[in-house]
Amino acid sequence: MIGARALGLVALLAALTGCGPGADTKPLNLSAGLPVGAALSLTGNANVYGQDQQIGLRLAQESVKGPGGKPVALRLEDGGSDEQSATSAFNLLIEGGAIALIGPTLSQQAFAADPIAQRRGVPVVAPSNTASGIPEIGSFISRVSAQSSVIAPLSIAKALELHPGIKRAAVFYAHDDAYSTSETTIFQKALSAKGLPPVTVQRTQLNDQDFQNQITAALRLKPDLIVLSLQAVDGGNLIRQLRELGYRGVIVVGNGMNTPNIYPICQKHCDGILIAQAYSPELDTPANREFVRRYKAAKGGAIPPQLTAQAFTALQVISEAADRLDRRQPLAKLNLRSARAALNSELLSGRYQTPLGEIGFTADGEVVQKQFFVAQVRMAPGGRTGRFALLN
Amino acid sequence: MDHLLQLLVNGLSSGAVYALFALGYTLVFSVLGVINFAHGAVFTLGAYFTYLLIGGAVGANGLLAGLQLPFTLPFPLALLLAGVGAAAVSLLVEAAAFRPLRRRGADPLLALISSLGAGVILVNLLQLLVGAESYAIPTSALGTLPAAVSLGGAQVRTVQLLLMAIAALVVVVLTLWLERSRGGKALQAVAEDPTTARLLGINSDRMVQLAFGVSGFLAGVAGGLVGLSVSIAGPYFGIGYGLKGLGVLVLGGLGSVPGAVLGGLIVGLAEALVPADYSGFKDAVAYAFLFAVLLLRPRGLLGRPTITKV
Repeated sequence: MIGARALGLVALLAALTGCGPGADTKPLNLSAGLPVGAALSLTGNANVYGQDQQIGLRLAQESVKGPGGKPVALRLEDGGSDEQSATSAFNLLIEGGAIALIGPTLSQQAFAADPIAQRRGVPVVAPSNTASGIPEIGSFISRVSAQSSVIAPLSIAKALELHPGIKRAAVFYAHDDAYSTSETTIFQKALSAKGLPPVTVQRTQLNDQDFQNQITAALRLKPDLIVLSLQAVDGGNLIRQLRELGYRGVIVVGNGMNTPNIYPICQKHCDGILIAQAYSPELDTPANREFVRRYKAAKGGAIPPQLTAQAFTALQVISEAADRLDRRQPLAKLNLRSARAALNSELLSGRYQTPLGEIGFTADGEVVQKQFFVAQVRMAPGGRTGRFALLN
Repeated sequence: MDHLLQLLVNGLSSGAVYALFALGYTLVFSVLGVINFAHGAVFTLGAYFTYLLIGGAVGANGLLAGLQLPFTLPFPLALLLAGVGAAAVSLLVEAAAFRPLRRRGADPLLALISSLGAGVILVNLLQLLVGAESYAIPTSALGTLPAAVSLGGAQVRTVQLLLMAIAALVVVVLTLWLERSRGGKALQAVAEDPTTARLLGINSDRMVQLAFGVSGFLAGVAGGLVGLSVSIAGPYFGIGYGLKGLGVLVLGGLGSVPGAVLGGLIVGLAEALVPADYSGFKDAVAYAFLFAVLLLRPRGLLGRPTITKV
């Protein structure tokens, strides 16, 4: 990570001294395939997401082709779990001649790194940023991860449908995380709209592990619904501590916990939590069946999580858009700057059959997705593994 | 009243972990006058060792993906052995990052940096071997004990009680060892004045190793207990505890064993007593408290003044 930062600094210096942008006027180098860069959280506390995403990119690289049937030359950089590392990784990838970027993993990082790509005219497809305001960063920023305001209310509605007697809701979120603060606003509005304004809103800090003080305060108010907007490990710990301290009510969690990596943390206590999802492995489409088949073959029969499907989709839309563009206007004849701009327009105008279902984009880069899901975690006996069971 | 008791228990259990952590820092600082920044990595390793020894399997990533030891140990024994394993790693850190510089008479600041490097290498090595997944020591590790008990109206997780009890036991044993045993007295003599200790026939190198070994053991035990109480949030999870432990060390007084304990408990309680609406700012409150104490007592609560010989 330190090495990546140092290289990022060199790239930044090169850019500042004028060496960098000059490279944008050179012809696009397709000799090794379509040059796509990805900055994912492979280290730091968000690496639980980055690992899911890395598998998705690898599967996509094996199955999708770039222009002329050539492979995608994917360059993966560690974007760490902080803004500085993501920014360094983006700089490196842009200087390395990537035609488009995938990442970074966290919304918090995207608000720092995406403006760099925007200034350089490099298309970014965010695979997991759900906070409000991501596509609004600029015309080159799009995402395949539906924003919280679309998904989060679904799980609240489902919780109230399954448990109509719910009277008192408590909310927890990490006040120093862009994703959490964005999503909790959506959750709180959804609760208020259902006549359940939260009886308490408890703030935590990113990467906290001990939540007993907040839990103590919340449980005094006797909630029967608890809604969490937390990253996976934090949320897993909070659920375990909630249950051990005697809470038996309903738990709804946000997108940060949309990963099987929560199972080892909250173990048997994960059972029953409700979550809205932008992906279901049970979606019966040719693209998803093929994706699930590939994932199971690669991971010993395991079921693919949402972040893997979204990362796969991000690379798929870039390569399909590049292929379409190349047929109309050969990319090899364009310089890097023009190729990036043309690819961005093509990417936003297309429709794609992906593991997420059919998707497209609005003119400003927001994903347009038809189907969303609500799942309930069902833990296997022993509490070591589980699955997100689709609720109809 | 119930609520206050609940907060006190929460604070004391957090403080017990901080105290265990800071005791390790303190032991090394007392003999070398340098903070061992690899201590957080050793703490992390202790948690992973405990997880593996109770029969936990490595996840799907890393070079050791799927690894599971062919035996399963009960939690107390696993914790003890994890402490021993962490002590061994701590000795390696001493041999690689401290001893060569000490023999060359290098500035202590260099040892601080080399220990930071050793910590980074250990954490990255860990990630390479076992991936970055999070693990948790199964709640079943406590056997038939209930997950929580009611204590004077407060709901207390059993693991919190265990944490406080083990931390108290460790502090008592460590204090007795330091005060009553030959090894403990020799360690204190080296901490007091290495030159005089050497003249008295005490092998100061051996004492430094002893300090690292005991420090590593304490870190390993603390790591295992935290792994049981919350989880092992990936190879980096010791970093936060490392920073907090550093604060505790300074608050209690550099090199003071009772100071480390007192500092740990105070920081834990300060965090717990932050009003719930502001609990997201508990770190800021804890450090503000630390800052205020240092303004009044720059040597920390129980730190001794440095005597400068002229």
